[in-house]
Amino acid sequence: MALAKTSQKFNSSISAFTIGTDDKTVTLGGENVLPFYTFDAPIENAPKIGAEISDLGMEKNVPGIRDYYAGAKDFSELAAKAAAIPGVDFVAFSLDAADPNGENRSVEECVEECRQVAAGTDLPLVIIGCKGTEKNEALFDKIADALSGRNVLLMSAKEENYKTIAASAGLAYNQKIGAESAVDINLAKQLNVVISQMGVKPQSIAMNVGVAAAGYGFEYVVSTMERVKMAALSQNDNMLQMPIVTPVASETWNVKEAIVSEEDIPEWGPQEERGIDMEIVTASACLASGSNAVILRHPASIAAISEMIRELV
Amino acid sequence: MALKGLDIFKLTPKTNCKQCGVPTCMAFSMKVAQGALPLEKCPFITDEVKDQLSEATAPPMKTIKIGDHSLGGETVLERHEKTFVSKTLYAMKVSTANDDAKNDELLGKVAKVDYDRIGERMYCEFVYVEAAEGENARFVDLVRKAAALDRDLILACSDVGLAKEALGVCGGKNVILMGADASNYEAMSAAATEAKAVLGVSGASLEELHDTVAALEKLGNKNLILNTTGANAKEAFRNTVEVRRGAIKGGDRTFGYPSLVDVASLCGGDAHKEAAYASLFTAKYGSIVVLTEMDYAKALPLYGLRQNIFTDPQKPMKVEPGIYPLNGADENSICMVTVDFALTYFIVSGEIERSGVPVNLLISDAGGYSVLTAWAAGKFSASSIAKFISEQNIEEKIKNRVLVLPGKVAVLKGEVQEKLPDWQVVVGTNEAVEIIRFLKEYQK
Amino acid sequence: MVGLFDRVFKGSDEMYALAEKALADALATHDESTPAVFPNTAYYAACIYEYTGIKVTTLADVKAAMTPIREMMTRNYRTHDVFTSGIATSMAAEVIELCKYLDTDTPYNGEYHGHMNDAEVRELGVPLVTRDIPGFVVIIGPAPSEEEAEALIKGYQSRGIFVFLIGGIIEQAKNRNINMGFPVRIVPVGPDIWSVSHVISLVMRAAMIFGAIGPNQYDEMNKYTFERIFAFVNAFDPVDDLTIACGACAIALGFPVITNDTKDMWKVPKTLIIQEDTKDWIETSLEARDIKIKVTNIDIPVAYSSAFEGEIIRRPDMQVEIDGSRMDCFELCMTKEAHEVEDHKIEVIGPDFDEVPVGSKMCAAFIAEVAGKNMQSDFESVFERKFHTFVNCMEGIMHTGQRDLIRIRVSKNAYEAGFRIRHIGEVLYAKLKNEYSAVIDKCQVKIYTSTTELHDLRKMANEIYDKRDERLAGLTDESVDTFYTCILCQSFSPSHVCIVTPERLGLCGAVSWLDAKATNELDPNGPSQIVTKERVIDENIGSWEDVNEAVAKYSRGALERVTLYSIMEDPMTSCGCFECICGIEPFSNGVIIVNREHTGMTPLGMTFSEMASMTGGGVQTPGFMGHGKHFIASKKFMKAEGGVARIVWMPKALKETVRERLDATALELYGIENFTDMIGDEDSCGNGDPEELVNFLSETGHPALGMDPMM
Repeated sequence: MALAKTSQKFNSSISAFTIGTDDKTVTLGGENVLPFYTFDAPIENAPKIGAEISDLGMEKNVPGIRDYYAGAKDFSELAAKAAAIPGVDFVAFSLDAADPNGENRSVEECVEECRQVAAGTDLPLVIIGCKGTEKNEALFDKIADALSGRNVLLMSAKEENYKTIAASAGLAYNQKIGAESAVDINLAKQLNVVISQMGVKPQSIAMNVGVAAAGYGFEYVVSTMERVKMAALSQNDNMLQMPIVTPVASETWNVKEAIVSEEDIPEWGPQEERGIDMEIVTASACLASGSNAVILRHPASIAAISEMIRELV
Repeated sequence: MALKGLDIFKLTPKTNCKQCGVPTCMAFSMKVAQGALPLEKCPFITDEVKDQLSEATAPPMKTIKIGDHSLGGETVLERHEKTFVSKTLYAMKVSTANDDAKNDELLGKVAKVDYDRIGERMYCEFVYVEAAEGENARFVDLVRKAAALDRDLILACSDVGLAKEALGVCGGKNVILMGADASNYEAMSAAATEAKAVLGVSGASLEELHDTVAALEKLGNKNLILNTTGANAKEAFRNTVEVRRGAIKGGDRTFGYPSLVDVASLCGGDAHKEAAYASLFTAKYGSIVVLTEMDYAKALPLYGLRQNIFTDPQKPMKVEPGIYPLNGADENSICMVTVDFALTYFIVSGEIERSGVPVNLLISDAGGYSVLTAWAAGKFSASSIAKFISEQNIEEKIKNRVLVLPGKVAVLKGEVQEKLPDWQVVVGTNEAVEIIRFLKEYQK
Repeated sequence: MVGLFDRVFKGSDEMYALAEKALADALATHDESTPAVFPNTAYYAACIYEYTGIKVTTLADVKAAMTPIREMMTRNYRTHDVFTSGIATSMAAEVIELCKYLDTDTPYNGEYHGHMNDAEVRELGVPLVTRDIPGFVVIIGPAPSEEEAEALIKGYQSRGIFVFLIGGIIEQAKNRNINMGFPVRIVPVGPDIWSVSHVISLVMRAAMIFGAIGPNQYDEMNKYTFERIFAFVNAFDPVDDLTIACGACAIALGFPVITNDTKDMWKVPKTLIIQEDTKDWIETSLEARDIKIKVTNIDIPVAYSSAFEGEIIRRPDMQVEIDGSRMDCFELCMTKEAHEVEDHKIEVIGPDFDEVPVGSKMCAAFIAEVAGKNMQSDFESVFERKFHTFVNCMEGIMHTGQRDLIRIRVSKNAYEAGFRIRHIGEVLYAKLKNEYSAVIDKCQVKIYTSTTELHDLRKMANEIYDKRDERLAGLTDESVDTFYTCILCQSFSPSHVCIVTPERLGLCGAVSWLDAKATNELDPNGPSQIVTKERVIDENIGSWEDVNEAVAKYSRGALERVTLYSIMEDPMTSCGCFECICGIEPFSNGVIIVNREHTGMTPLGMTFSEMASMTGGGVQTPGFMGHGKHFIASKKFMKAEGGVARIVWMPKALKETVRERLDATALELYGIENFTDMIGDEDSCGNGDPEELVNFLSETGHPALGMDPMM
């Protein structure tokens, strides 16, 4: 029997989703094949990488990250440095300090920080909210206003707070919205449905269907992403065709493997290398399962993943 | 399509003779259908029936055994459809293209990574020994050195004579002979068969690979592994996907074999890129992934990923019940109790560790379910917690009498308090992310 | 009496004449190139922009707009003419207002608000879209008295409704010292009726910003405002023709008008409502515009959280105990007509906690009366079962049992914090309204605590319980038109779909057909979806084309067919949560059933967990099936294979759980008495040997032995 190839080119496709303005836009999605299956059909928009910076500054990171950002005087310079990392497509600014259980930085301060970030780079922006779902409602409302016209992605709207975020960021200020659900295809779909019902166009929604570091229940991430892509492509489920954006760094730099010092467990070797590989392995597996964009922190991780994407697409 | 248990049952003698080791013919049939027992265990099934059944029950992809390892045998393309059965295995590469010192250094590192993660031994299973052209004598030497290690071997060598010589120094090791191609398959197959080695097959293109495998099968060798590494990463990914997809979706039994991807050859010595591709091929269909070096930095995330991807969705990962003192907790530190579901353990222990507050984390036997599921199934209840505390002699081991319950089972508080009157039972947080704040406030 | 149409036309003509005059006056002192714009808006004069497409920036543009405005005032005596004339009236009003802004951005000097800028539209728009502000009212007054004005304004304010005031009511509000302004959500728009154009302008811009409605999209605009903007008008007597014409605009946009003016007024249901008693305006208005008010905080003196659900109140700590085992007590949820229910009325009839001695028992009944357009009496029991959790989450209160066997303990601490019996009513009210807002529009709670009344009341309650039980017993698969899916478990069993029917509840035992039905009503995008059963394939084995399609759809193609009443042919799949598994036992022609709690061996030679490993995960395994305990005694249990007579073995504990109902089913189906005794268990056959089981079954004369082989 001769070789008979099986193709999985689908009639439906992931919807194309664009952030940023002018000639500095980034488009995610649009493909009608599984991740990296360029042999079934061309993938027009390769997966993208965002560099994550935090409003807590970068000093608390491993030396490779800390030193890269050293000398940045304000968020504007931080953003400029993030944008300058080779392989970066967009800048993701994380409002960690806004957390009501943490520093509880005020909405006004956060808006000012976002303004600085926007001034520092003309790459597309992703604004990542804090852990407080209620706080994010107020934050995104004001940030969406302050960054009017920059066509940013605000992450994320969840079941608890999607209404205000959809109405304000999505409708009143025409920004893009990330819909975040916890590794369950039905919850992901339901959230997309209710956000759409508010009047937000499906092309203005991206999904974060949940993420874990490799080894920490990552099988749920794989299966959720794979099922979402299958439903989107093979069943033409337009409420699951939004591209997936996955904030990898915030998970991977928090697990034991990335934070235990070499003094504590000498046989594990240098802490920084462990953190980088945890970030790389998780990001690569996310992309293989369906992420259209990953958000990373270490320049070395960004280098490795961007080269992989370039080689595969 | 696998046979249903009932169809197999019809072919058994229906005597419940128990010679297969199972109490009834029905139980036996169900286990065969599940793939948990081979049909041969039943002494009464005729060869004719066996042939008929093994054809029907054979998975679209063969299971290749190498020592204690199984490769292949997959029935689905995505893990949610049904469990992936044979996990990706890893190999470290030595080559005659390296100088001896480099090879010695690498061989010295093979055994470095070896640890346990939730009951599974994590180590680099293979040494991949590559023959560069014109280095015949050194190759045999290198194989000899590699064979001295406690690892299975993959010999990459397309010269049949050299391969035979190398096989001769393997000293009874389990070997994959990665050597057959369109030009030498007949002789290479004979060499592998003689040495009881699994034969690795390569091809310049997918078509050539396919033809060579078909030819080998015609010769009667079905103990194969397919080298899907291409000239570059894009080709390697394509080959690996096409082989797996052809077998499972396309029903092409010629491609129904495990695959090997030489990631090291794609990355030009860039360790970070190797990590990225090792992850890609662990997620997508690599049966053996060859790396330059397996250090802890790569191993920790890769083996974690592998354990996740190849877990049986119906058998939750469990950690051992017991006391886990965190942040230097001692007998005067408070206790927090939760279930033995591995994911719960990892998340909860991670948050506690980050809080820096000394806590005795008590993991009680809850059948490996998450908190709410275990509670609903009656496996995490006031009595199970009380039983756990007494069975583990916790009251003797720990003097502190504060016990924090997961917020999601606040409903148990009263009952637990009644069963453990000496303890101060406190309701903790609903979500693990709130633990840090909870503990910090509790400390005050 | 003048016709309503004529009044609208007359008012509309009057407004046009006023606009013409205002424009003429303006042009007398300004030239045509004078800028004519409202401050801080990108939408020009929004009414005119939307309905004529004219981007007014100068007086010349205003002049140009007058013709299309006039043209919209058609006079064909059809409803459409009323609507377009109403809208044209607003545009004319906008012209009058615009002329005030020619020389200044603040023509009202802060006394009135006038024009609302785009930032204010967004600020109000977001909570309106999210329904955090449930709606807004435009009150056109003066009210008959200042007190009434205050009561109405504050009534709306307390319900979170945004209030716009126009005309004399503003003066009344000032006299009552009501704090006004955008932040407190009471806005004095302007003194004259034409200032209403600012509110219409706000509506236009909200639709353009939030609904992406463009100019000249008449139908889309009116659809959007009707579906998405929850506004209404309260107009006090006397209502003149100008106001009537503006009202026509409101009605065109889908906003009902409520008035107490009866002269020359016509009732149009849900649209133009005459309510002479102004005290009822709030309720009438909210009902007319379908606005439901969410309860944001529960007014009780103790904390409320799920953390208190498991609290136990011991006798010494107890202030009082409501004990259904000793006294007449019960809790009940009842459907009523809307007019019979006064929302948020909590009535206590009889003595309170402070009138009984410390540590004593008392009797009490809690009746929650609910009304709602989508309420169905079938939901009563679903909601009532939640009372337990609702009450239990209060700090210092412990609740057990249901129906007339409830027990509620109130701690001394809670009592001392001021907790009284009406607070239980407050909690029931708040939780019912919030959790079931999709079906409950209004709710009131009656609490009876005097022994004399309770005796009869309990009888009444018992009759209702009996009726419900009868209804449940009579609820068969044949008697309903729809089944429901349940895909709650797909997060870990992706291809599994439960089909829930009246006679076959979810295999976890937790989702009945009524639960699924209520879930669907409350959360139409949720896990329970309607499955029709119109195209029957084979009713005996429980096979419908509709059911197969539903299974294929919700399993995302993993499964194509299921039967509901057979375990041999395409049996229903399982997620893994099943209470029980039944499996074929070929030597006795029957099935054994084992429940999750049973850890021992079965006659099949497999334990529960061994059987579970091959039954779960959404895979069809003929001969094996997961199900709920309740299903065992159903007439639909294995109906295709002969029904419950096939059951040959169950663990003892399970037998006792189902005995009563199973015996009744066997008696009805086969005339067999005490059928459960014929079934083997771990005592009669515990070592996993089918032969021993067959022997036992022969002794008891089990019917399965005489039935056809199952395979």
